[in-house]
Amino acid sequence: MSGEIHVVWLPGQACTGCTVSFLNATHPSVVDLLTGFIPQAAGVTLDYHATIMLPWGDKALTILDSAAKGELDPFVLVVEGAVPDESIAEKTGGFWCAIGEENGKPLTFSERLNRLSERAAAIVSAGTCASFGGIPHGRGNPTGAKGVMDHLGRGWKSKLGIPIINVPGCPVMGEHLAETLAHAVLSVRGYLPLPELDGEHRPKFIFAHTAHENCPRAGLFSDGKNSHEFGDPYCMGLLGCKGPISHCDAPRRGFVEGVGGCPTVGSPCIGCTEPGFPDEPYSPFLKKAPAGFFVMEKIHSIKGSAEAVWGRIKERLVGRPI
Amino acid sequence: MSKQEITIEPMTRIEGHLGIHAIADMGKGVYVDAHSFVTMFRGWEVILRDREPADAIWITQRICGVCPTPHGMASAMAIDMAYRAPPPPMGIAIRNLIHGAEQLYDSPLGCIILEGPDYSQSVVERSNPDWWKAAKGEKSPHADLHGYKTIADIMTALNPLSGSLWLRSLAVEKLGRKMAALLGAKHPHVNTLVPGGVAKTLTVSDLEQYAAMLAHHIAFAKEFIPVMDDLCNFLSAMGYDQAGSRKINLISYGGYEDPYAYTAKYEDMGEWGLKRKVSPGLVLGGDMITQDLIEINVGVREYVDRSYFKEWAGPHIREDPAGNPLAENHPWNKETRPAPGPFKRWDSKYSWATSPRWEDWKKRAGGFNHAVEAGPIARMWTTARGGKVSESKGNSLRWSLPRASIAGYRVAEEMEFEWKIPEKINTIERIRARAYYYGYVAYILYGQVLQALDLVKRGETKVWRRYRKPRDGLGVGMIDAIRGALAHWVSMRNQKIEVYQVITPSTWNAGPRLSDEDLGPYEEAIVGTPITEERGKGELTGVDVVRVIRSFDPCLACCVHIYDGAKETKQILEI
Repeated sequence: MSGEIHVVWLPGQACTGCTVSFLNATHPSVVDLLTGFIPQAAGVTLDYHATIMLPWGDKALTILDSAAKGELDPFVLVVEGAVPDESIAEKTGGFWCAIGEENGKPLTFSERLNRLSERAAAIVSAGTCASFGGIPHGRGNPTGAKGVMDHLGRGWKSKLGIPIINVPGCPVMGEHLAETLAHAVLSVRGYLPLPELDGEHRPKFIFAHTAHENCPRAGLFSDGKNSHEFGDPYCMGLLGCKGPISHCDAPRRGFVEGVGGCPTVGSPCIGCTEPGFPDEPYSPFLKKAPAGFFVMEKIHSIKGSAEAVWGRIKERLVGRPI
Repeated sequence: MSKQEITIEPMTRIEGHLGIHAIADMGKGVYVDAHSFVTMFRGWEVILRDREPADAIWITQRICGVCPTPHGMASAMAIDMAYRAPPPPMGIAIRNLIHGAEQLYDSPLGCIILEGPDYSQSVVERSNPDWWKAAKGEKSPHADLHGYKTIADIMTALNPLSGSLWLRSLAVEKLGRKMAALLGAKHPHVNTLVPGGVAKTLTVSDLEQYAAMLAHHIAFAKEFIPVMDDLCNFLSAMGYDQAGSRKINLISYGGYEDPYAYTAKYEDMGEWGLKRKVSPGLVLGGDMITQDLIEINVGVREYVDRSYFKEWAGPHIREDPAGNPLAENHPWNKETRPAPGPFKRWDSKYSWATSPRWEDWKKRAGGFNHAVEAGPIARMWTTARGGKVSESKGNSLRWSLPRASIAGYRVAEEMEFEWKIPEKINTIERIRARAYYYGYVAYILYGQVLQALDLVKRGETKVWRRYRKPRDGLGVGMIDAIRGALAHWVSMRNQKIEVYQVITPSTWNAGPRLSDEDLGPYEEAIVGTPITEERGKGELTGVDVVRVIRSFDPCLACCVHIYDGAKETKQILEI
């Protein structure tokens, strides 16, 4: 309710997919976030976003410079895209990713990130590239690309003491990012505690369960029904689904206004929210996920079935308390 | 009089990292030189090496999050070919519906969200006060259809974050992505494209849900196209025809496969290419040179003379599968060898984009290598001229959109549209073609939904055909993304990727010059563009340059598989 919160959206080795996906958010939508859907969440301004902003060239860059000087405090830095290792490019006198120039030399994205990180109230990595490096970080990685957390150090905290918040997904699901940003605003204003994060700095309220646990086809799997051909309506495990080893709720929530979801519609999960994506064991994408999961899954499911049977026996013996 | 040098970087309201360096002759009031430079590299082609070929269908979509689906489509076609895995008709129909859904989101995004603000009240009032004055007095010829009484009303509606067209377009675009998610699991980056078809369980309600969302686009097209027509005609009346003008050298791969014609076999590609609802074609100097996809493919060349890459040794592959000769600069023979180099060396290497050219290898047009332009205008042109579809009338493309009665839209009745081949290719006509293309896609998709329903009626509901991966194979997938001609080339050895190459439409358009006589299309389009902005303090904002560039709807992550930066103006004295 008090004071503006600025948002600076910095693109690195990105494909702009997370920006487009952010526009898929519904409740709140991007426009809701910017207009302030309730007074407690109002006062958010998007100061820099290369894809939609009105100014261009120098006029645009002044905004990044003033944020780095502290003139936009407090601001949330949203990063889209991976961070390349510029020391590799320097060896041949070049650069991998530049945003503007300084003293006749390209000002690299990584340098901009370093400067902005010193002033940012919080950093939110939008999507798998910014979170973990994503495809640019995949095997072969010629540019030394990595996620923001690995670039700044896993122990990095903002001047307000907030660790990096990763919202992975390739691209990030619009709802995930909008909810995390709204949550962050309400937290900064003191209406909510900060979101609890898992070991990979992902908000637990989104990433606590696997795609398999969240899958509408998981019940069919428990019932022994597997798809053998694309188009079949059953579990996608035999056709390469990595749902059991990937943390994501898209199968349950859908992707655009509740529509879609990877195994939901019959396509294998490819593990796009995970730090190891796109390498093994997530790829090859049509290769079956490692079998280890199924052993644990069976033990858990037997335990669950046993509990269900025992619950019924107990009810007959001692009656139903509710 | 002096010349002014201007560097615009970052070029905002485009996808990715692009810079433009331009020189303006202030005396003549015109831009006389330009360099287009891309400032970001990730190395997709390097990362793809030695991976499972099918994985490219997912990985290459991540080249670009604005237009990922055509990457998935081109890749799926290249892999279908290498795996010898043709999909069943319903598999092809669903691919078309996914591809079209994305184009329905992407054309208004280009016209209204990215390019629109340059013609909005908030920019024009300051940059071109004479236009603004005229716009206030100019009645919109199609006000009865779209409701904006004057051109100034249209300009106000284009203001970012507050304009009614800007906001409505955002909602319509989302509906396009929702249609893509319905059949593609998600968007950006659809997940259901697989070799041999699609990984989608087709349910009884999918097609009706798709049709219900398509109806919104059909209704929106009946307002959106007349709005853009009114705006484009006004700009033309203001004398803006010279902006962004370049010679009529165009490339289109077409799109929207006939479900019964596509065989995924290279030798048949010329044939099924001509059955597409959007026709392929290669145009030089305003003449259609060929519409044969095989011939177009064989003529593709990629050069790195001015790009941060090293040369490579070739050729490894001397002939295409139909026995045509392959040059060492053909993508099937290319190896990506990045070599980062110094910034802004205009006489040397200066961009992360490469320079594709099309060689007239059958040697008909004068000069054998040509910088050709890709985009909606290219494919509208080749489809209108080609005579391969019934809507093609030689000098125009004509179709009608069916009745669609949707709350919130002004026109329900059936409406006929006719896009006429313009005399010039310029900033205005690129934007107009993009708007008309939206209507043509909605029309195609309406036909495709009916065809898919017919397939259901006939029991042809299989979406995928089983295949057995061969050991080696060659594949190419050629399709028009919203921004133009996109192709992927794969060479598979021992069931792994040996070479994977991508040339995107923005590479065709944004690539650097090969010599001062052979500029890239962006560069060429800026040269000769008049300076229309008010020059109060003598400093250029470069608004005319950014308009030219945005008319191409750049997508730079695509392009390098680009650049951002600062504008810098300095006075240089006339020598």
